[in-house]
Amino acid sequence: MFDELSLHILDVAMNSLAAQARVVQITVLESRKRDWLIVRIRDDGRGMEESELRRVLERGRSGKEGRKRPIGLGLALLRQTSEMCGGHFHVRSAPGQGTTVTASMRWSHVDRPPLGDLKTTMLALCISNPTVDVRLTYRSDGQRMCFSSQELIRKSESAREPQDGARLPSSSDFLASKNSRARPESRPALGRILGGEAVE
Amino acid sequence: MNLEELKKLKEKARQQVALREGEKKYRVVVSMGTSGIAAGARDVMKTLLNEIEKRGVEGVEVRVTGEIGLEDVEPVVRVEEAGGEKTTYAHLDAEKARRIVAEHLDKGRKVDDLAVGKEKKGE
Ligand SMILES: Nc1ncnc2c1ncn2[C@@H]1O[C@H](COP(=O)(O)OP(=O)(O)OP(=O)(O)O)[C@@H](O)[C@H]1O
Ligand SMILES: [Mg+2]
Repeated sequence: MFDELSLHILDVAMNSLAAQARVVQITVLESRKRDWLIVRIRDDGRGMEESELRRVLERGRSGKEGRKRPIGLGLALLRQTSEMCGGHFHVRSAPGQGTTVTASMRWSHVDRPPLGDLKTTMLALCISNPTVDVRLTYRSDGQRMCFSSQELIRKSESAREPQDGARLPSSSDFLASKNSRARPESRPALGRILGGEAVE
Repeated sequence: MNLEELKKLKEKARQQVALREGEKKYRVVVSMGTSGIAAGARDVMKTLLNEIEKRGVEGVEVRVTGEIGLEDVEPVVRVEEAGGEKTTYAHLDAEKARRIVAEHLDKGRKVDDLAVGKEKKGE
């Protein structure tokens, strides 16, 4: 149904906005060398009760009951894509704790959709609710970039963002990323990423 | 995605949030739920933004929202005028999105053949 991973990302992140998130952190990690690609969407929205989460994860019938159609498809679709491509799908959520959706896949799997137009996905999310901070961290074998929608609104502040030890990667961080700051040794292990903490 | 593209993205998003109350003539809302995305809503949004920029149409705010209850006729876009009138356009694609910008947003003429019924109450 979605022929780009960036369409899945848009769809799942729209759930975060619907759940009243103030910060939505999208992380895309891909390593051709290690043959995996991981997409993670984390939010600080309302989160789900265990029973709701269980219902949502039941294949093919997530979401709102008694709705016309389709019956909550978004998460089921991403799950399908990641499992079809030799990866895993995981949702961690609790009321007041936000939600983290993680989908991994084999980079080289023939069915793996391309990342596609991530830029337009980000633009759509940025103009959905301009007061929400939509963040993107992208890493590949040789590249690292970060983006935060709130920085572009508070434009003047971005230049002064502290670089080291800052929780939120700044645009100045990104601006340097194409050359000096691509540090392959800082790539976290797969286990750590799936565990939820991918910051160095 | 590269540096240049991210800079442009920032600029585009900034334009969309910089509009002040008094300057707004139209608010364009793009339905971006699962069915909308599957039907091509993201491309419709992209075309709307590009076309608005290309034509230099001013006073238009584009927003993205979750499903608005019209998943059978996606992609769907709702044009809200400052005066309160709402027009819903359905079954859109890039070409039709360009017409909405050229006719409705630029010249103020509703595109009747793309509009669906009256705005349903309480959707
Ligand atoms: N980030 C989230 N925070 C809180 N609840 C969520 C989140 N993501 C999903 N949910 C809950 O899980 C349900 C299922 O999500 P899913 O995206 O699969 O379907 P949907 O949003 O209901 O419908 P669709 O995406 O098909 O329009 C949602 O309706 C919502 O109740
Ligand atoms: Mg959804």
